[in-house]
Amino acid sequence: MKNWRKQLSRNLVIVLLAIALWGYVVGPLVATFQQSVTGNGGGFSEYAKFFDLRKGAQGESMLGSLVISLLSVITSAVTGVFLAVLLKRWDFPLRKLCEILVLVPIALPPLMGVEAFVLLYGIGGTFPQIFASLFHTNLNRFAVDGISGVLLVHTLTMYPYFYLTVAAALEQSDDALEEAAYSLGASKFQTWTGVLLPMLTPAIVAGSLLTFMSSMSSYTAPLLFHVDQVMTQQIVIAKLNGQLGLASVVSVMLAIISVAFLIVLRMYEKSARYSTLSKGGARRRRRVTSPVWKAVLVVVASLSTIFLILPIAMIFLLGFSVNGSWRRSPLPSQYTLQNFVSLFTNPSSWQAVLNSLEMSAIAVAGAILLGLASAYAIARMRFRGKTVIDIAMMLPWALPGTVVAMNLITAFANPSVFALGRVLVGTFAIVPLAYFVRFSPLVFRSTAASLAQIDVGIEEAARSLGANWWYAFCHVVLPLLYRGIAAGALLAFVDGVGEFVATILLYTPKYRPLSIAINDELYYANYGTAAAFGVIQVLLVLGVVIVLRRMDDRESTKGTVLS
Amino acid sequence: MTALTLEALTKIFPRAGKVVDSIDLKIEEGEFFTLLGPSGCGKSTTLRMIAGFEEPTSGRILFDNIDVTNDPPNRRGIGFVFQNYALFPHLSVFRNIAFGLEVRKVRREEIRKRVAAALEEVQLAGLEQARVDQLSGGQQQRVALARALVIQPKLLLLDEPLSNLDAKLRDETRGVLRVLHQSSRVTAVYVTHDQDEAMAMSNRIAVLHLGRVHQVGVPEDIYERPATRFVADFIGRNNVLDATISRISEGELVVRFADGSEITVDPQQRAARLEPRVGSRVGVCLRAESLQLTTENGLFSGIVTDVEYSGPFRSCIVKTGLGNLKVEVPSTAARPSRGDHVRLAIHSSAMHLVGD
Repeated sequence: MKNWRKQLSRNLVIVLLAIALWGYVVGPLVATFQQSVTGNGGGFSEYAKFFDLRKGAQGESMLGSLVISLLSVITSAVTGVFLAVLLKRWDFPLRKLCEILVLVPIALPPLMGVEAFVLLYGIGGTFPQIFASLFHTNLNRFAVDGISGVLLVHTLTMYPYFYLTVAAALEQSDDALEEAAYSLGASKFQTWTGVLLPMLTPAIVAGSLLTFMSSMSSYTAPLLFHVDQVMTQQIVIAKLNGQLGLASVVSVMLAIISVAFLIVLRMYEKSARYSTLSKGGARRRRRVTSPVWKAVLVVVASLSTIFLILPIAMIFLLGFSVNGSWRRSPLPSQYTLQNFVSLFTNPSSWQAVLNSLEMSAIAVAGAILLGLASAYAIARMRFRGKTVIDIAMMLPWALPGTVVAMNLITAFANPSVFALGRVLVGTFAIVPLAYFVRFSPLVFRSTAASLAQIDVGIEEAARSLGANWWYAFCHVVLPLLYRGIAAGALLAFVDGVGEFVATILLYTPKYRPLSIAINDELYYANYGTAAAFGVIQVLLVLGVVIVLRRMDDRESTKGTVLS
Repeated sequence: MTALTLEALTKIFPRAGKVVDSIDLKIEEGEFFTLLGPSGCGKSTTLRMIAGFEEPTSGRILFDNIDVTNDPPNRRGIGFVFQNYALFPHLSVFRNIAFGLEVRKVRREEIRKRVAAALEEVQLAGLEQARVDQLSGGQQQRVALARALVIQPKLLLLDEPLSNLDAKLRDETRGVLRVLHQSSRVTAVYVTHDQDEAMAMSNRIAVLHLGRVHQVGVPEDIYERPATRFVADFIGRNNVLDATISRISEGELVVRFADGSEITVDPQQRAARLEPRVGSRVGVCLRAESLQLTTENGLFSGIVTDVEYSGPFRSCIVKTGLGNLKVEVPSTAARPSRGDHVRLAIHSSAMHLVGD
């Protein structure tokens, strides 16, 4: 018996992976491409229309998306790096609190979070009203709208890409490096430009790529700030107008840009990074002694922090406001608990929450299977086409939700083998399928990261002691991977519960998920009800973060994986 | 107790090529056998094929004449000790050692007894409930040893088990290992790149280079009668000088060096594979500790260019017409210093010829 069982089961796993990735990720993308060249007119005529600036707005939208993304990178980078340097280099009162609070915007829910910006800074919003009454001018003089509104949202939701990476880089950097520069005769300025900033370059490049990709995918902010000239908007508009050919052309173009960035990012991640060569260098924060300087730091840090957490605070405040009790004053005038009560008692509201929980749970169950299998196959097996599987697995992470939705619409509008011969568009199943496609990469990434921490020898040790593959997997690999899987799955679950971008293109009114319920309430200006949903989402995210922290703590007292 | 036979064992990796090149070995029951060689010589890959972690490209592996070449590792009944211990980080010391017994569905009561006994043997009694990350490196390696031995394996395979330990712990653990081997009499295959370790522990050693076995023998053989030029270079502090055989007569063999000087060598002092013929190129091995500093009629003359004092002896580099020679002089014998003109002598029985 020449290992045929081992060969068989190994090949079976790889074939199943390939089928799943083709059926739900790559295949639908190809289907969209096919539709883009076979749609009305056929051939590349739709592409010609796309690039013809005189006729359509679609080509312009590409320019719009690119410009907004570039500007978002700049504003987010400035904000993120500023905060990281401010909070990681100096020590001053309230610093610890600020450090915690600046991360709170990560919990901002997708749709309600953007709406909070509109209500704070948009036309008729809180701040325009305050400023108007202060300066006795036109109500909307200070209102933010259009591209500036989109940029504001992008900046305040995407700065963590820079803040987190730069803060980590600053924490790892060694004081001795700076001291070495000074001792060699460098001035303060030379030390910054010659030593400190170059050390931060990898963090800033990675942050820029991530921010650019997220901005290209951004759908909700342009929607709520009335910016049509971005690609995501054009896809949805074309689709709603029934111009499927055009919608798929824009989708394909957007997909190409996203995939290009994915490839650049992966290449960059693989190329050498600076790691500090010096060992055991303790980092001391600069103690601030001058009282003036200290006061400046405290004021700047507190104001920035307040600015960052205002949208979340706004959601909480609105959650307790009476629907319709607001519009002629900076803040709602009447408050109540009714929104939360009706959320649980009104069957249609509660049903939306249940629908989302159910859809997300189904999607996560699938994502765990696919993510675990592919992470394990890539880390532990030798086979051809490994890179292809790796890229296909990360592909949906790079694709905008709008594009994923378009792909699924084209692929599953007709009976498909991968849907057991049924049509999925217009059924319950298409939404969890979209969540599954979108969020599998999260589970895959975090599982792969934990798997990379586990020495192969540990598995071999189990095998040498007489455990068969399955026994070793269940008793050794899974217990060690458990945390990585849980982290990815919980994040995917939370994202699924709030998902709006793909949902809006795919849902059926019969199974209305949470984000659509919020959208409906906003349509009727029921801010209280919508915000109450938002509060639930924020609490869900915080709950998950606390659970993960707990697991981390337990892990660190138990000791991490030996290598 | 199990004998191990490797027949024409070969491993070809797609990138690295032929890492193990047709190795034949027979390891006796109860033997402590070492695979010795520099990194990349194929010793670890050979061990991993014996364990079943790597599939051989061709060749066979026999445990007591039973072909196990295609058996998965869990059916081979081996104990494997890893360089980095590979303890299960989520399990206690007890559960780590009990793992192999639990897989074998041994009764609970018996597991407890055997784990306790195993811990006793590696001098860690009472540490059952400790977490593995609370232990020092040496203790972790001893837990790994206990884990491998408690299942009473047919073969104990050790992959550089001491190389992550500091010098003092290495000596200590070496002792533990030797005692364990003597009491269990398990057949052990040990992989290392450290010749001192190999000499100290092994019944027999196989020296590997580029996937091939260069020599198999008891430590004395390997040290005093290297079979190839590689072994001569790798083991001990040898000077290997290029020479040509210029005359062969009864009981006498004369070689000529590059500078034209000739010396006479005992023909018995040569590698078995070397067939002496006039004109064939050979390597003349002069071990650093066999060379003596003299004032008159030495074989070579030269200048001392470097001296290093290391307690029991001084190591010198002597620059001669044939290149730099390493010389080790007992500290009590002489005190060479830099710039000294010296002559070097060697007893003809301490010289050894290898093929080119």
